[in-house]
Amino acid sequence: MTHKAIIADDEKELRTYLKSLLAADWPDLVICGEAENGKEALELVEAERPQVVFLDIRMPGLSGLEVAKKIAGVCHIVFVTAYDQYAVEAFEREAVDYLVKPVSRERLMQTIQRLKNHLDVSPAPPAGLTAVVEHVLASLNTKKAGDFLHWIRVQIKDSVRLIPVREVDYFQAKDKYTLVITEDGESLIRKSIKELTSELDPDQFWQIHRSTIVNVSKIEKVSRSITGRGILRLKERPELLNVSRNYLHLFKQM
Amino acid sequence: MRYLLQDQEHQGVISQHINLRHLIFDFLYAVTISALIAVFLTIIGIGDSFLPVLIISESFGISISSLINLLFWLVKPQKITSVISILIMGVAGGTLIGLYLGPFMLRQFFPMALQWTPRNLLQAIILAIVFGGAISYFFFSRTRLKVSRLEIQQERIRRLSTEKEALEANLKLLQAQIEPHFLFNTLSNILSLIDTSPDRGKAMLVDLIHYLRTSLSRTRHDLITLNQEIEIIHAYLNILKIRMGERLRFMIELPDNLKEQPFPPMLLQPLVENAVKHGLEPQIRGGEILIKIEEKDGLVRAEIIDNGIGFTSCSEAGVGMINVRKRLRLLYGERGRLLIEENKPTGVKAVVEVPKGGDHHHDP
Repeated sequence: MTHKAIIADDEKELRTYLKSLLAADWPDLVICGEAENGKEALELVEAERPQVVFLDIRMPGLSGLEVAKKIAGVCHIVFVTAYDQYAVEAFEREAVDYLVKPVSRERLMQTIQRLKNHLDVSPAPPAGLTAVVEHVLASLNTKKAGDFLHWIRVQIKDSVRLIPVREVDYFQAKDKYTLVITEDGESLIRKSIKELTSELDPDQFWQIHRSTIVNVSKIEKVSRSITGRGILRLKERPELLNVSRNYLHLFKQM
Repeated sequence: MRYLLQDQEHQGVISQHINLRHLIFDFLYAVTISALIAVFLTIIGIGDSFLPVLIISESFGISISSLINLLFWLVKPQKITSVISILIMGVAGGTLIGLYLGPFMLRQFFPMALQWTPRNLLQAIILAIVFGGAISYFFFSRTRLKVSRLEIQQERIRRLSTEKEALEANLKLLQAQIEPHFLFNTLSNILSLIDTSPDRGKAMLVDLIHYLRTSLSRTRHDLITLNQEIEIIHAYLNILKIRMGERLRFMIELPDNLKEQPFPPMLLQPLVENAVKHGLEPQIRGGEILIKIEEKDGLVRAEIIDNGIGFTSCSEAGVGMINVRKRLRLLYGERGRLLIEENKPTGVKAVVEVPKGGDHHHDP
C-alpha cells in the first residue's frame, strides 16, 4: 500500500534533501506536496490528506508546533529541527518521532521503520501528541520573557527611536509626561508612570516613589536617612533618588 | 537583591545600638564596671572609704559612657578609624565632665567638699583611664565585630556578583558567536548541495568557514578594516541567501575611501543578524536589508536597514544588540554610539557611529 506525505520546511534545499533521502529509502512513499511555511502546510494537509507530515519546527507565520497542534490526530507527524534542545528532549521522552538536521540516513531509516509499523497496525495516528506539543509550546513561550514592555518608543522629530528598557536607568515623572533616563541621555515620552508600572516587568523595574520607577539592575545601594526615608544610589550616576516609605519594603529581605 | 538589604544594614550598623534596650544595657554596664573599679580601688587602699570612691567612680563611668553614646549617635561613624577617634574623645571629654560631676555628686551625699589636690587628681585620672579603657574595649570590640562581619559579607557578595557577571558575559559572547540553528541549518544545506549542486555547496562552505573563523576569533579587540567587516557580513548574507532564496534580498554600499577605515570586528554583524532573525525570517514574504556606510561630520556612520516585521514593544532586545552598545562604549566612550529607530513603513533601522580614523579610547 502506498502512503502519501508532505514536507514542510522554509528552506528549499532542505526539502529537496529530505525528499531525495526518502525517495531512496522509502520509494513507496509519495511526496504529494511541499510547504514553505506553516500556513501552506495546513492548506496542504487539508487538500491532500497525507498519512505522514514532516514538519520543520521553525517556520515563518505558523511554527511547526502550532501546525502540529491543529493536525494532531489527522496524520502522523515527524518533527524536523536544527536545534531545539527542549523540544527534542520532550520528543525523546514522549516517544514522538523527530529528526535533527542535518538528517542522517541511518536515523531516517529508523523513523521510516517506525512509521511503517504504525501505519500497518493502525492508520490512525497516535493520540497524546497534542499534550506534548502544548507542553513544548508553553515552555517556549515562557522562555520568551512574557508580555512585558521591552522597548520604549521615543518620537524625535520625524523619526521614532527605540530604547531597550534594560538600558533605561530610571523613569521620572515630569508634568504629564515621563523622562526616560539612560546612559546616553534623557528623552521625554507620553506614557505616564502609572502606565509604565503596569507594562514593565515587575522583576526588572520597581516603583520607588510616586514619580519614579527604577531599573533594579542599575541600583548600587539603598540607605536610610535620619528621617527614615530611603535614599537610592545608582551605578555610574551621580544623582540620588528618593524612596518613599511606602516602597521601602521592596528593599527588605527577599 | 539581598545585598541591598545588607547595604542598608551597613548604614545603621555601627550606630545601631542607639535604641532603648542598648542604652539601658550600656548604662548598666557602665555602672557595673564603675562599681567593680571602686571595689578594686578600695581594696588596694586608694580612697578613704568605699562610698565616696564609688560615687566618684560612677561619675566618671556614667559621663564617659554617656558621652561616647552621644557621639556615636551624632556622628554615626562608618569607619573603624572614626570609631577610635570617638572613643578617645569620649574618654577625654567624659573624664573632664567627671572631674566636675564627681565632687558635685559627693556634696549631695556627704557634708564635705572635695578639693582636687595633685594626689587625688592623679588618682581620679588613673581611675578615668582604667574605666575608659574598659568601656572603650567593650565598644570597640562590639563595633569591630559587626564591621568585619559585614565586610566579609559584602566582599562575598561582590565576588559572587562579579563572577556571575563574567560568566554570563562569556556565555552570551559564545551564544552570540555561533547560533546553533544557523550552524546546523547551514550544514544541512551544504550536505544537500553536495549532491545537487556541488559548486554552490563549495561556495557556501567557503563562506561558512570565513564567517566562523572571524566569529570564533578570541582576539576581539584587534581592529580590522571596514572592508573586512563587510566581507564577513557578505559571507553571512550569502549563506542566508542560499537558505532563504527569494525571501532575502540585500544591498551593501561601502564607499571606496572608507574601505581601509580601521574597525572593530563583528560589530555590525550582530545587527545584520538581528535584522534577519527578528525582522525577515518571521515574515512569510521575507524582505530586504540595506547596509549603507557613509562619512559624516568626522564620523563613520553605518546604517543597517530592514523592512521586516520590526520590533513590537514586547519583542526583547537581542543580546547581540546589547553587546554592540557595550563594546562601542568600551572602545570609543562617548564618541561611539548605537541608535535603533523604526524604519518606515516597516522594519528597523540600526545606526552605528564611530569616530573616523578609529583612534579609540582604550582596548576593552
